[in-house]
Amino acid sequence: QAFYKLHAISLDSTMGKDAARAEWDNPMQFVLACVSYAVGLGNVWRFPYLCQMHGGGGFLIPYLLMLVLLGVPLFYMELAIGQKMRLGSIGAWRAINPYLGGVGLASVVTSMYLCLYYNVINAWSFWYLFHSFQSVLPWAECPVNSNLTGHVEECERATPTQYFFYRETLDISGSIEENGGIHMGQALCLLLAWMIVYLFIVKGVKSTGKVVYFTATFPYLVLIIYLIRGVTLHGAINGVKYMFTPKMEQLANPTTWINAATQIFFSLGLGFGSLIAFASYNQYNNNFEKQAIVVSMVNSSTSIFASIVTFSIYGFKATFNYESCLERVRLLLLNTFDLAEDTISLENVIHWIAELNRTHPEQFASLGGRLETCDLEAELDTAVEGTGLAFIVYSEAIKNMPVSQLWSVLYFIMLLLLGMGSMLGNVIAVITPLSDLKFISRYMSTKTLNGLVCLFCLLLGLGFTTHSGNYWFTMFNDYGATFSLLFIVLIEVITVCYIYGIKRFEKDVEDMLGHRLNCYWKIMLAGVSPILLIALFIFYIVNYIQGGTPTYQAWNKELGKSVVTEYPPYAQAFIGLLLASSVCCIPLTALYTYCKKRNLASGKRERTVSTVSA
Amino acid sequence: MRCLRMLVRILVLLYLAGAPALAQTLCQPNASNGYRVRISIKTALGNQAYEWNENEMFLFRATMAFAMRRYYKTETYNVDNIIVCNQTRRVSFWFVVISPENPTMLIPKADVEKAVSMSRHRINNAFLLTDRTLEFLGIYPTLAEPVNPDTPPWLIVFGVVIGAVFAGIIALLVSSLLQKRRKEKGMMEDGQDEEDRQMKGVENGINLDGIYNRGFTDDDRFTKL
Repeated sequence: QAFYKLHAISLDSTMGKDAARAEWDNPMQFVLACVSYAVGLGNVWRFPYLCQMHGGGGFLIPYLLMLVLLGVPLFYMELAIGQKMRLGSIGAWRAINPYLGGVGLASVVTSMYLCLYYNVINAWSFWYLFHSFQSVLPWAECPVNSNLTGHVEECERATPTQYFFYRETLDISGSIEENGGIHMGQALCLLLAWMIVYLFIVKGVKSTGKVVYFTATFPYLVLIIYLIRGVTLHGAINGVKYMFTPKMEQLANPTTWINAATQIFFSLGLGFGSLIAFASYNQYNNNFEKQAIVVSMVNSSTSIFASIVTFSIYGFKATFNYESCLERVRLLLLNTFDLAEDTISLENVIHWIAELNRTHPEQFASLGGRLETCDLEAELDTAVEGTGLAFIVYSEAIKNMPVSQLWSVLYFIMLLLLGMGSMLGNVIAVITPLSDLKFISRYMSTKTLNGLVCLFCLLLGLGFTTHSGNYWFTMFNDYGATFSLLFIVLIEVITVCYIYGIKRFEKDVEDMLGHRLNCYWKIMLAGVSPILLIALFIFYIVNYIQGGTPTYQAWNKELGKSVVTEYPPYAQAFIGLLLASSVCCIPLTALYTYCKKRNLASGKRERTVSTVSA
Repeated sequence: MRCLRMLVRILVLLYLAGAPALAQTLCQPNASNGYRVRISIKTALGNQAYEWNENEMFLFRATMAFAMRRYYKTETYNVDNIIVCNQTRRVSFWFVVISPENPTMLIPKADVEKAVSMSRHRINNAFLLTDRTLEFLGIYPTLAEPVNPDTPPWLIVFGVVIGAVFAGIIALLVSSLLQKRRKEKGMMEDGQDEEDRQMKGVENGINLDGIYNRGFTDDDRFTKL
């Protein structure tokens, strides 16, 4: 009887069904899950911005270099840990070294912050998506004011797309202090976003594994369609040329290299614990080495591909605005000098300005400030990143395309898929370690745990749907994960290479893969990556201290634009809390473990054999 | 008698000669009761633009007379009551409206504005132009009333999507509940408690108790299936 049971269980294991842990149906699901997680909104809205800021094509050099020196080795390390320990981040780090279990806890706290605010972006994408189903896109024109004589003032001073984002989508207040109530539309969209996340994770990796087939591949389809549409737009070539013209002098600027390292780092999603969680559902002998390289390459190529699309759209928008400016100047000249309509055309506007200045100087002077200077370079130079790019600049470009509703729907579906894919990773990073904890798994099933986590994040996330919610969102975005992640990954690398030991790590990898760690991994993990991380870390601290009081962009409705405002003291205290709360998990847990071990050692000296394996 | 008749003839001639001149003095650029009109035909119509000539000007005057008739609800206004001056190559000109009863009296600016606003659509269409390409400087076009549907369209799409997601969640939860009940019933018939607990462990996908015995991992390597 006993032999039969033993044999049955061992058969189960050989067939890949771990008696104690769920698994991906096949390695492809794991790869797609990692791709879906790593390829997110940052590839679409941060990389093109960095490319533009740091010399176009030349930025690829530091970017690819940092990928090889920093990105791929750290990615490999996290996958190795997850696959070896077969636990979420808390359990895995506790297993590596009991004193450094806090690293896992810090990852969970950071992922929790990310979960809270990241889904708000998906809520905004839903809002825009639902509003695309109208004959005239609502951000294409300013709404009419109450007595039908003109447009709403705030919209006249800003642009219709900005008005739609700041007033109709966010209903933003003037500063972070003015709270106001919850925007019902946003709250509904956030509810929908969390329900969809729950739907995707409700059955654990069984359901997630099927979803990632779609969330990982469909954005590429949309990107290809957009690429074709983008490069055929009038003026797109200006943008692409502008982006790819390398400005090599930017390579001498240290900020370029720092930004390249930071972008690789955050784009791959290191330090959140998601990669450990994903890898923990792998089979023990899965070849993660090849997969780590594949996913990192796919992530970087997607960034480059997405920036071609972004820049062709930029070029279109800049050319459109430039030609509208020329048209306005042309009309102004025609009207002031009473010339026949066909004397000035768009091509010879510049020529005529000089001509008229020469022949009618007084009348020309009377034009004064009304004469705009139209500059294509200036239009292309307006570099925007983040939500400003995705929701303002892109939607402005889309409204000028023919059949704009279709392009709008496609675009926001793509944003949603990218965002949802990353959300899955974030939520799994929180749920996996929680479900590994014994005192939770004893009292509730995975479904209930998942539901509770989603509900908790939804309720707290409602804070981001208030009138000042966008300011809190920016605060979380800028401070919630950046500094703590650097610290976490630095501790991770030092722990694995020096505390756990690179030799032990090498043996574990050989156990899983069947061959030894080759030189590249050893040199990078033990030498180059920690040095680069320390340099980044120091740079961040110096930058933060030198930056003075932290500021944010507050939307001023009278002026119709954003103004730089300082954070009030309580907000600055909150920033400090955000930074400290995840970082201090590490020393606090180490202290706690030390005290516990001391009590255990002193209280139970008679026990010679410890039944708890580390 | 003959002197008187000649005097009358001279006066009539003078009047006939002077009346348009008188009318012309009424119409001046920046006249207090006049409006400036600016027309951009080529911008509006491109290749199908027509030439602006005396006939088109006649049409304009006739349309303005029509607008005045519509506003005052009388039939006394005529083409002669609309006086045009200062035409430029831009195609812009000034016009004033004189009262049909008293040729020296100009219709006040406010009334002309109301008349134009009332018939703006008809005036635009007569010339195949729009509010932007047929400009009355000083008269602002009334913008279209915004269409406010009872249910905003976005709510409809939202309702459909959230309904589908909700249905999906319920379906998944119910199906897994049914699966669990079926397994439980199957297990109770066999009466193998240990295996039952083991199955429950598999179902929830979490480690129930104890640490996974790594001794099995070596088996994986040797028995390839």
